[in-house]
Order: sequence, then C-alpha cells, then structure tokens
Amino acid sequence: MSTSQADLVLRNGRIYTVNGNGDWAEAMAVKDGKIVAIGSESVISGYTEGAEVIDLDGKMVMPGIVDVHNHHFIAGASDLFELRFLPSLSYEEVLEKVRERAAQTEPGGWIIGGSWGSNFADRLNSLEAKKALDDAAGGRPVLLRDDTYHNRWVNTAALAAAGITRDTADPEQGEILRDPETGEATGVLLETAAAFVERAADEAQPLTPEQQREAASSAMATLNSFGVTAFLDAACMEYMMAALKGLDDRDEMTCWAGACLPATEPGFIFGKVGKELIAVKEQYRGKHVFPDFIKIFLDGVPPARTAAFVEPYVPDTIHGCCFCGATKMTVPELVRWVGDAEKEGMGVKIHCAGDAAVLQALDAFEVVRSFNGPTEIKHHVAHASFIREEDIMRFAELGVVADLCPIIWYPTPILEATKAALGEERAERFWPNKKLDEAGALMASGSDWPVAPQPDPWDGIEGMITRENPSGAYPGQSLWKEQALGLEKVLEIYTINAAKAMRIDEFTGSLESGKFADFIVLDRNLFETPEKDLADTRVLKTFFKGRKVFERT
Amino acid sequence: MTSSQISPDRSIPVTVLTGFLGSGKTTVLNRLLSRPGLDGTVAIINEFGEIGLDHLLIEKSEESFALLDNGCVCCTIRGDLSQTLVDLKTRFAAGELKALDRIVIETTGLADPAPILHTLMADDTLIGRFHIDGVVVTVDAVNGAGTLTNHAESAKQVAVADRLLVTKADLADTDAINALIRGVRAHNGTAPIRMVSNGEVGPEDIFELGLFDAAGKSPDVERWLHEAAAGAHDHDHGQSKGHGHDHGHAPEGAHAGGHAHAQEGGIRSYSAIIDDPVDWAAFSHWLELVAAMRGDDMLRFKGIVRVSDHPERPIVVHGVQHVFHPPQMLEQWPSDDHRTKLVFIVRDIPAETIETTLAKFARIEAPRLRPAAEDGRHLSRVNA
Repeated sequence: MSTSQADLVLRNGRIYTVNGNGDWAEAMAVKDGKIVAIGSESVISGYTEGAEVIDLDGKMVMPGIVDVHNHHFIAGASDLFELRFLPSLSYEEVLEKVRERAAQTEPGGWIIGGSWGSNFADRLNSLEAKKALDDAAGGRPVLLRDDTYHNRWVNTAALAAAGITRDTADPEQGEILRDPETGEATGVLLETAAAFVERAADEAQPLTPEQQREAASSAMATLNSFGVTAFLDAACMEYMMAALKGLDDRDEMTCWAGACLPATEPGFIFGKVGKELIAVKEQYRGKHVFPDFIKIFLDGVPPARTAAFVEPYVPDTIHGCCFCGATKMTVPELVRWVGDAEKEGMGVKIHCAGDAAVLQALDAFEVVRSFNGPTEIKHHVAHASFIREEDIMRFAELGVVADLCPIIWYPTPILEATKAALGEERAERFWPNKKLDEAGALMASGSDWPVAPQPDPWDGIEGMITRENPSGAYPGQSLWKEQALGLEKVLEIYTINAAKAMRIDEFTGSLESGKFADFIVLDRNLFETPEKDLADTRVLKTFFKGRKVFERT
Repeated sequence: MTSSQISPDRSIPVTVLTGFLGSGKTTVLNRLLSRPGLDGTVAIINEFGEIGLDHLLIEKSEESFALLDNGCVCCTIRGDLSQTLVDLKTRFAAGELKALDRIVIETTGLADPAPILHTLMADDTLIGRFHIDGVVVTVDAVNGAGTLTNHAESAKQVAVADRLLVTKADLADTDAINALIRGVRAHNGTAPIRMVSNGEVGPEDIFELGLFDAAGKSPDVERWLHEAAAGAHDHDHGQSKGHGHDHGHAPEGAHAGGHAHAQEGGIRSYSAIIDDPVDWAAFSHWLELVAAMRGDDMLRFKGIVRVSDHPERPIVVHGVQHVFHPPQMLEQWPSDDHRTKLVFIVRDIPAETIETTLAKFARIEAPRLRPAAEDGRHLSRVNA
C-alpha cells in the first residue's frame, strides 16, 4: 500500500462508465484496486503524484465484461489437454484432425475433444463413420463432443472402454444410437448416454490438482484476453471450486468467479452434486470465489429433440407425430430446490432450452415468490431463447434473470438444425431479446464457452445488434431482425446487468467511484464503429482490481 | 396423490403417546395398561422396567414380548418401528396373538413425533394395514408452561397433538393451569384438553381420536373443529375479540405473558371454512407445493374437502410436515355441514401466505384463515 493518493491514473481516454446515466469520463484514478475518482481531466489532478499514469491516447475504456454462463474449467482443460476444432469443420476435416492428434498420442491413449457441428449428426450416425474414426485414431479411444456439448461421437475402443455393447439399454433421458440392421451402437450418443464414455475417459486420464489449477488459470487468461473480468461457471464441480480456491489462496485470480453447484450430475462431469456439494461449498469460498448458485438441467437441446416444448416437434420416424420433449423435474421438485436454495441464500440457474421448460421454471419461481415474498436473490433462466409470448412479462414480474447464451442469436448451424426439428417458422422465433427488454426483464449475457468455441463477447455484441452472423456466414440472412437491440442496451447486458445477475454489482460491473477498477481498453470506440465491424473489436488491455492482467502484444 | 379408500375394518388404529420428560407419560401408560378389558391392545414401549408393570405380567414369553393380566400385550421395539408393526401382524396371522385391535406407541420424552407419524402415514409396508388413530400428548400442569417455553421439542409435541392430557392437575393451582392452557393453546388451538389427576385416564381419553370413529363414519376433523370452538370458549377468556383476522405479523393482543411468549416461537393454529366446491387437482397440487416449500413448518394439517367432481363424497386429508397421508374419500358426509374445513398448525407461516397460495394455486376464491383458537364458533366463511 503506497502513501500516494492513487496507484494508477488513466487520462486522455473515452471512458464509457455504464453508470446508468450514459455518462462518459476522460480520466480515472485507482487506489488499492478501487476507483477513487472518475470524471473530466480535472478530477484526477490531485492523484497523479506517485501514481503510474497511463495516457489512453483517446482510446475507449469500459467496464470489464461479465459472463454469467460459462464452463471455464472444462474449456481451460480442453484448451490445454484436448483436441480443439471448430464446428464448421467438415466430416473429412474432423477425421484429419483426429489423425494428426493420434500421431502425437501414445497407443491406447484417449483422444478427447470437439466440437463437431450438431447439424451433421446424421452423417456420423453409421457404422462406416465409426470405422473411419477407428482408422483415423489408429485404434485409440476417441471421444468428440458436439457444439451443443450435449451429444458425443465416439469410436469402437471408446465404446468398449465404457462397456457399451449392443445389449446396453438406453439410459433415462439419453440414447445410444444404433445401426438399424445390426443393432450395433454407431458411436453417436445423445444426452445422458454421453456419461458412459465421459466417465470412462475421466477415469482413464484424471487431471492432477496442479493440472486442474492450470486449467482454471488458463481459462481465466483466455477470458481476460476477450475482456472478461467476472464469470459464473454454470456447472462447477468440487474439484473445479478447489482449483479456483487454490488460485485465490495464492492470490492468482484474474476474474471474479461465481460457481453454480449442479443439483444433479450433468452427465459429462462427475463427483458430488446437490445437497452433498452444497454441504461443502463454504470451504471453497474465497475473496474472489462465490459458490452462491445451484444449477438445474431442466431439459436438453432442440436439435436433438431433447428440449421440452409446449407444441410438438416436426414428426420424425423416431419420435412420431406428437413428441414435445420432456422436462427432467416436476414443478414441485423444482420448487423444493428453489425453496431450499433461498434458505441457503443461493440463486438457482435453470437450463431451459424449450418454451415448456421456461414455462415450468417460471411457474416454480412464481410458487416460491408466493410463499417467500420478494427477495434480493437472483434466479436465472439459462438459454432464455424460446419463450411463449405470455411468459415474457413474467421474467420482469418475478425478477428472474434472462441468461442469454450461447451466442447464437443469428443464423448458425444450430439454427439450421433447430429448423429441422421445429420447422422454420417456429425456429425463427428464437431469442426475443427486444421483447424481453421492453417487458423490463433483467437480461444478462453469457457465452456458454466452450459450447461457444470462444468466450468472445464482441461476436455476441455485434450479433445482438445486427442479428446477422458476424463471421459473414449465411450472407443476407438474419434471425428475427425485429429483436435487435441498440449498442447502449447491449453493453449494459454485457456488464452491469450481468453483474446484477451475479449480485456483484455493488462492487463491479460499472466504472464508478468506490467500485473495483475492473476495466478494459479497446482498440476502437464502439460508438463510432459500424455495426458490422463490432465483432472485430480487440481488447488491448484488461485490468482486474486495478492490476493489468492482459495486454495484447 | 390420488384419492384412495382404505377400509377401516382392515387397518389397525395406532395411537402415539408422547410428552416431555417428566410430564407423566409413563404414569398415564401404567394406569391405562392396568385397566381391565384391554384385550386386543398392544402397547409398544421403551423398556419393561420403566413402567413398573411387573405385577401385571402373566407371561413374558421372550425378552421383548409380554402378556398382561388384562389381555394387553406389551412389546419393545425390535429393529425399526415399521418392522415391529409388520411383525405384530404376522404374529396375529400365525395365531400367536389372540387379537390385534389397536396399538399404542410410547415415544421417548425428547422424541420429535413427526418421524414416527411419517412412518405411519407413508411407509409402503404399513399403508392400508395401520393408520394413525391419534397423537396424545401429556403436559405437566406444574412444569409444563416452562418446558413449553424453553424446549422446542415440547412445543412441537404439543403442536402435533390430537389430544392433550394435562397431568398433575391435582398438584397445580388454577392460575398455573390457566397459564399452561394459554401456552398450550398458543401452539395448538384445536386439540381437546383433558385434565388428569394422579395419572388416571381411561381408554376413552386415549383411543378413537382418529380419522374414523368406531363406526367408521365421523372424521376427526369435524370433532376437531367442534372442540376448537368449545376449547376456545372454555379456556381463552383472556383473549381479545373482534380485532379482525390476524395476518400473523404480530402476537395477538391482550394475552397473558406466557401466551405471548409462546407466540414468539411462531407456532400458530388456523382454520378455514370454504363454501364453494374445491378443484381437487388444484388443491392437491397446492398440498405438494406447501410440502415442498414449507413442509418443515407445516406441523399438522387436517381437512375435509368438498370436491367439485363428487361433492357428495368428501376427501379427508391429513399431513405432518412434508408428509401427507394418502387422501381418503368418504362414502358420505359425516354431518349436514358439507363445507370444506381446513385446520393448520404451523410454525412461522403467516396466514396471508396460506391464503394467497390457496387462492393462487388451489384456485379457492378469497380464502380466509382465522386463528383456530380465537373463537371456533365464528370460523370464517367465504362470502359471509
């Protein structure tokens, strides 16, 4: 602690404060990690002595991005230890990636990675494809996740390691796809069926505690590089919290980290869940680590027809004519979880991909509000994207957060796969962001990384404004253009609103005196950038509590 | 939950006798078991030595089983309660027991009676074979008021009682007894209270308190509500009237100190009468929600419900905390009064919460709760 008035002073900048009044500042002074002065150049005059002074040279500064929905650890571990490829890769390109990886992997070693595009599940669902994967891997076990993270493509050795034979029954809420003639598993595993092979891989190649800390640390470094300074892990197991707490104890955190403790085992990560996990949460609470949420997986995803809808899916041979999907809990079961969570002071984040799941989650929240009255606790509907018109108002009425993720509010392969499942008209009533905003809902942004290949907020920010694919894919197409939002609103969704959703807005999420100096320096002024270039925004520097944790070189 | 009908002929009534340490429970049991004509009664007790029945023992066939000279059989628990009960049925079927008409279970003084009641209501091996006849709770006229104030276990025992026996009434003065009754009423506004001197009780004080009377017709709720009125009239003279309906935000006015103090524990009784028929699906959904949200605090709930699908055949509901007895449909109404009646004994649940959630989720129009002990003769009526 120095005796000077400030440790760090920023001047000559375009500082967008997100303070609720649309205010801009030119300069800011930081002491002991907190903002002590912000405003025009004159406000920092008494602070420069003894402080590091940064001339921003007119660059735009804004609060650090808050990501209310990611799987930081899985992504970090995947980046460090697994095979990563983009879901836009073709079938042949995926096989080539596996072939390259196999060459660097010892015989018998697992090849784990992703993500393949969920739109070519049909292509993978055959014995020929499985044989091709066997050959590419040289017989090594392979486990490849799709871009929704709910489904897997595995090969013969992986099926054998997991003990899956043609006699293995489908698990509840999951399916082992099979060759229609022989009944042999093709290697495509839907939803909970993924757990068989995930568990086998996890047991065969567990990470050491040091590797686990590396995974969390690497994830935060990636997040910082995109401008993120706070995140909420949407399914945080005990070893993930331990990794974060381990880093916090070493003073190596570069983000605020919230944790959602899964109520039930998600199927791709393993260990204590529910009450057992809640019972140990306090030992992982740290200065920067908050285990204050519970996660419930209420349904699956639309392309795999595992999401729960009020109206039926388009008929197909497997599900017949009137299949709506199903939720995994009843309203009274949800009510019990949410009621118990409130007794612990915890919020609940409920995965709801279909409108029936959203409806059921809102019903449960309404019951809890009726019994418990108003609360400061924030509950989240995750992936709030297919919502019945009459339920949109209820987000605001019940104070429920609309967690917007993954970043697919524009044409993507997932939208195409969703059209096949729901029909074009319904599939395009996707992400009613404008309606939610008009209804007064608290909307908060997430990435769902690694479901999104990168936790890239700039892609999401452009997409929320244009409703077109920022990469240039699907040219000339947009998704429900009327639901576009303006930049000011979108930046709130990515900063202060997300901080409110995590209940950390008292000390971060905007640039105001008294709050921590969690901010980013950008390569451009977003308000002077054409909409279609917003995704190209690069973060030059990221500061967490006044300390530089990322600088672009 | 589905409505089911259980023949009272086949199901054996079980009385749970509880009471705080030193409240005279064992004396009551000793006097009861010394009465003639208890053939067919089985008492499940903690230990033989404790109740001093040696002089009555005819035959102690094995460590945990004994026959008394009045025909009563005493046994101690082996394994768990449900196993012990199932074992009695087996012995009866095998002819080892001549008769098995009713059972009384003595609990330890510190026991929370709720788990025993849950076992009796919800254990698959017991449903349809045994049912709760009643919960009888002893409170001590000399020390009871203090015990109630200082021990949460005692307060909970009183709250779940169907009948309260005030013991050692001969040893306490009128003021002490009145103070105790006020304290008891604060926790349980409806259970009939009987004064007991020298442990003298008869079977009529203990048995046939349950959902069905001996004739299998009169649900206890009727009697409960009736007694609530009488009880309030007899014992609550000090209570203020006409202050309207209480929303549970503050202790009711004009009570004696002991009463007010008990109120701080937050245990209250409420009742409601509903004129219009009730949508059973919505009502049972509401029961599930209450169990999920406030199960721990719904100490006792009873009701007789007029359902819209079959208004001539009421459904009897009965719950202890988050466990509800399978609802039972009666052949007919036990009296001319065919209105839905609900009684709640709750801890820290405002009446308003019950009212708003009943309206919202059970779709009952403007339900109004009254403190059950306030004045049962003026139980609220919807649209009145």
